[in-house]
Amino acid sequence: MWLGYVTYERKHIDPLSFNSQVNLARIAGMTPPILLRVSNFKAYVWDVDDINILRSHHHICGILTGTLPHLSSQNIFLGLPLQLMPEEAVLLLENGIAVLVDDPSAHHIPSPSALKLWKEARLDDARQQIALTEEKGSIEASNPDRAMSENAKRKRKEREERRARAKADTAPSVTAEDSPSPHPTSENPSQPAIGEPPDSAIVMPSKSYTVNIPASSSNLEWYAPHSHASLTIAREAGIWLYPSTLQERARCGVFRDLWEKGYYMGGGIKFGGEYLVYPGDPLRYHSHFVASVIEAPDAALRPMEIVAHGRLGTGTKKAHLLCEWNDETQVVSYLSVEWAGFG
Amino acid sequence: MQNHPSYPVLSQLLAKYPATGGALFQVYNDLTLAQRWTEVEVLDLPACKRAAIKGQRPTPDTDRGPSICVVVPCSLSESISTSWLRAAFTSLDPLPSEIYVAITSEDTSTVYYKISQGVVKPPV
Repeated sequence: MWLGYVTYERKHIDPLSFNSQVNLARIAGMTPPILLRVSNFKAYVWDVDDINILRSHHHICGILTGTLPHLSSQNIFLGLPLQLMPEEAVLLLENGIAVLVDDPSAHHIPSPSALKLWKEARLDDARQQIALTEEKGSIEASNPDRAMSENAKRKRKEREERRARAKADTAPSVTAEDSPSPHPTSENPSQPAIGEPPDSAIVMPSKSYTVNIPASSSNLEWYAPHSHASLTIAREAGIWLYPSTLQERARCGVFRDLWEKGYYMGGGIKFGGEYLVYPGDPLRYHSHFVASVIEAPDAALRPMEIVAHGRLGTGTKKAHLLCEWNDETQVVSYLSVEWAGFG
Repeated sequence: MQNHPSYPVLSQLLAKYPATGGALFQVYNDLTLAQRWTEVEVLDLPACKRAAIKGQRPTPDTDRGPSICVVVPCSLSESISTSWLRAAFTSLDPLPSEIYVAITSEDTSTVYYKISQGVVKPPV
């Protein structure tokens, strides 16, 4: 299935030239290469469709690193962008699946007219979202009793009576603004609790709306990405340097070999290794292996490492995988380590 | 050590590989006396510059049958490598599917780890 696979049977890994990549894509009838947005030597994916393709077609998972500022715990609910391991970006680039884009330089300075258009479009979109919310709200308000309990009905009556009394005390009445601007969820104390419909007869001074603002730059008129289609090109442009040491080359080699065997890889820090190696999508399977990268056949290994890796692996229903990289032959050799169960 | 009952079996290889003699002695005794392995013999593994021990591991109740295993002793203070581990495999005839590395420490603790060549899934 992988046209790129045939190329990598060779011992020496050459980054494919841009033309051969394009031809590969055309021959295979695949979609154009995915843009990896590089910022400070890290590769990010900002498009959800691309994240989907990377995971389902290329078994590259990455990790979501986007957080919501108003959530106190910033490691549970994560969103865009997806951050790739450098080994993942290198593999995608070498296989012609992706190209690198220098994100900072892709953002040009907008002209005043372009900026004006963008602002208007943004406001328009926000207004549309608010209008839809209000329409939905009025539909619900016109039929408020459909889901109300007796208790809720009683509480609403009491609130309305209370407000009518308060209104009678104060002189001017409060009117709603013409075009309410969206606030991030600010609570109006006189509003009914969540689950109860709004009081139909009462006029609200300000409403709170949730408006979704797209974060992607792809549709900006002044976003002009320039693709770098190989490691050499990207290195010359100074936007990507990985791999540059033996250790980094070893990681790329091991990652690629495991990937070509069909495994999904994730970060191994929770289990004391470089990667967790899954037989299928991590959402469906537990990993069978924790992998360490050994940068050379004669790299010093301490017996205590075998003890630590082996016991932790076995204790977590996994085996430890020592992945030895040979920089001369460009071959990966594997040794699986488990606690013997006796002794 | 010379007066120890294990000495006669090990004397030749202890003399050949004095650096790893301590680990060999400790592991041989552990296997024969504590782990109760049977049909134990010592092998010469020049590629690893030491002797190895072959024997039959006692079977747990649910296991398929007695298994012949090879144990390569090594001390915690040594520095080994993956090529050293693979050399152990290639030195053995017939090529075993797995070997055991016995790691000794100075308080006479011995721990055993199973090493297999290739990507071998852990048992379920």
